[in-house]
Amino acid sequence: MTSALTRTALPLLAAMLVAGGAAAQQTDPRLERVDAATRPTVAALVDSARAALLPTEPLIQRALEGATKRASGDVIVAAVRRLAVDLGHARDALGSTTSPAELTAGAAALHAGASPTILAQLRQTRREPLTMPLAVLADLVASGVPVDSAAAAVLALAGRARDADLVEFRRAVERDIALGAPPAAATAAAATAADLRVNAGARQQRPGRP
Amino acid sequence: MFEPVDDVIERIARHLRRPVRIDPALDGRVMREITALPTPGGATALGKAWGWLTRPHQLTLTPLGGLTVAAALAVVVLLSRMDSSAPGPPAPPQAESRAFQFVLVAPRATHISLVGDFNDWDAARTPMRRAGSEALWTAVVPLAPGRYHYAFLVDGSRWLADPSAPVARDEDYGEPSSVLTVGGGGS
Repeated sequence: MTSALTRTALPLLAAMLVAGGAAAQQTDPRLERVDAATRPTVAALVDSARAALLPTEPLIQRALEGATKRASGDVIVAAVRRLAVDLGHARDALGSTTSPAELTAGAAALHAGASPTILAQLRQTRREPLTMPLAVLADLVASGVPVDSAAAAVLALAGRARDADLVEFRRAVERDIALGAPPAAATAAAATAADLRVNAGARQQRPGRP
Repeated sequence: MFEPVDDVIERIARHLRRPVRIDPALDGRVMREITALPTPGGATALGKAWGWLTRPHQLTLTPLGGLTVAAALAVVVLLSRMDSSAPGPPAPPQAESRAFQFVLVAPRATHISLVGDFNDWDAARTPMRRAGSEALWTAVVPLAPGRYHYAFLVDGSRWLADPSAPVARDEDYGEPSSVLTVGGGGS
């Protein structure tokens, strides 16, 4: 029994280890949509991100977006690589316990021009998830608001504002810009209004006060 | 007429001390008889299997064998955990997902797909439907909190960003996309 078990178990263990290694290296089947010449490079980038404990889903989605938009292989690889780098920088700034959604939004904010310092300050300012403040920051910069103005406004609001307040703030800025206001001025005005709204909401929620 | 009691006992004891010769084939005959007896679960294969499963068995392992089995179990657990983060289609929307309606006005379009990183940018996954008027196209997608990129693919070839959503800057692919950020509670 003992020798039989040893004879059976050792090859079984070896086979399982080999199968495990193969499973870890298995390419995501969705990447079949990426052309065959590009796929191994994208798969290697995804594997590297996984080994670095970074979220891999945003990288796969970036590659699939490129495939659907019929981008060339070089462009897809460059886009995926850039996103992987941004995700790594976002994780460095926000901390190792940051959720994948926060990391994705953080990478977008970094890509938009926000500095890692701003991300770290947001982490210190807000206890709730940072997905919405980071996304609003990236969206404002994409709308033409200077990074410093957008960062200052989001940092001022992030401590007490709910996600809904931040969405409303972003809409107000975009509305004012669409109406012709300079982006920085629109941001300052909307931030002041949002701050007043947040403070009023906080006063209403305070218990035991007439 | 009667022997003394001690003599009788002595004779019996001598008889009992005599070695008993057992037929060497006895063991085999006994085991064949036992095997031939009907089992409680019946003589079917199922009954035999049930009998084997319910009968206690003794398993002996060397330390090396035990370590090997433990390592194999650890590999199985590790693989099953890796599977949860392994590549594959995205997980179904979670309980905290909310339904979002995407709307586009496109009077001349014959077919519109909603594509984004919530549906693998797959034009076949979320076709939009005409709603009410001929010009209005809609699609409803459940989304968990997060930041999403999406666009409309009109008639299979023309890309449109959502005019009512923030634009995603994209110097890589060029084609326009929009951004939707789904917050947690209260957004």
